[in-house]
Amino acid sequence: MGFFDMLEAALPWSTAEAEAPKEEEEKEEESSEESKDEGSEDKEEPEEEEEEEEELEDPKEKFEEVTECKESKACSPAKHHYDECVERVTGADHGKPVDKKHPEEDCVEEFFHLAHCATQCAAPKLWNALK
Amino acid sequence: MLARSALRSKRTVGAVRNGAVHTSKRAASSSSSSADSPFRLNMAGTAATAVAIGSMAWYYHLYGSELHAMTPAEEGLHPAKYPWVHEQYLKTFDHQALRRGFQVYREVCSSCHSLSRIPYRALVGVTHTVDEAKAMAEENEYDSEPNDEGEIEKRPGKLSDYLPNPYKNDEAARAANNGALPPDLSLMVKARHGGCNYIFNLLTGYPEEAPPGVKLADGLNFNPYFPGTGIAMARVLYNELVEYEDGTPATTSQMAKDVVEFLNWAAEPEMDQRKKMGMKVLIIGSALFALSIWVKRYKWAPIKTRKIVYNPPIQAGGKH
Repeated sequence: MGFFDMLEAALPWSTAEAEAPKEEEEKEEESSEESKDEGSEDKEEPEEEEEEEEELEDPKEKFEEVTECKESKACSPAKHHYDECVERVTGADHGKPVDKKHPEEDCVEEFFHLAHCATQCAAPKLWNALK
Repeated sequence: MLARSALRSKRTVGAVRNGAVHTSKRAASSSSSSADSPFRLNMAGTAATAVAIGSMAWYYHLYGSELHAMTPAEEGLHPAKYPWVHEQYLKTFDHQALRRGFQVYREVCSSCHSLSRIPYRALVGVTHTVDEAKAMAEENEYDSEPNDEGEIEKRPGKLSDYLPNPYKNDEAARAANNGALPPDLSLMVKARHGGCNYIFNLLTGYPEEAPPGVKLADGLNFNPYFPGTGIAMARVLYNELVEYEDGTPATTSQMAKDVVEFLNWAAEPEMDQRKKMGMKVLIIGSALFALSIWVKRYKWAPIKTRKIVYNPPIQAGGKH
């Protein structure tokens, strides 16, 4: 935004238009698109196939799971506790001696600590990756 | 720690008592008592200090730890804070993001959630052009005025019509959603603690599987950010669920970010104008303040620069 745009925005008689651009331009574009379409159909198909092959990866998952965050040093205590809890709770289902003190234990709190750590760590990276 | 300090205090109490016994004996046996030894003075100070520290420790042991009426699971996980650009003081909404966000709302959210406070005219100049907004409005049918026979017929929508509700009323919405009411999203960003961050985390925070040991009622899904962790809404945003017009890769978090920014606009459509107005207030206010300083100097100049002089009358002729 240049200086004159800012000046214009500050002036009381400036207006904002919500109209579509003039139709003439659109028609030109349409006609040019139509002429292109016939020729480009053959080209597009292989491209689509390629797109299907490489699946989009969600950057949030990528930063939290795959790269660093969950495995990082800062989150290693949380990860350790969560893994330990998972082992303890799922172990009870597989015939291991049941922890009689806490038969109803779940790993929600451990999960919270781990998720909190990972999202905090990934937040700034994620915003750089998104539009 | 408490036990240790308690032990120590007991020991010091014993020492003090011994000391007292000693003095009484000595006083009885001999008349010559020298000044109190520094050992016993130190002992008294140490004992008093130990009692003070021990009582403090005991107090904090009893009352120090914070009490929570709810478990962390009932509170829900606190949302992570993201650096939203539109939340900065001098930034506006990203209107391309708003347009993408409206697309996500229209193609995904609107099948269950209403957005009842937004008319099509509000979108004009914000996300869409007049013609686009008119075309979208005309896709829906609304009740018209009663005709000559008093019948109410349907007419295509106009710009002044509000976005249609997915259900006739709340009861119908509950019946269709296993008893859970999908809330209206018009003011949702303002209505939830954590605002944009909460909704973004809620949409993207569904783990692939719930942590072990979690028991949820039928029809509920695990989401750590929802208070109670059991939410009736399942995960809806998946990669490439919508196809953006501008070619932005439609990842889960991109769609969530766009739709949250759009919902923020829906809750605060005046935000851009408000920030502009705030800047005008600051500019005019600072100009007037500067002016007031100059005016003050101008008005005070005669007073500040005046000189009061006393000229005693010249007494001609010397003394009387």
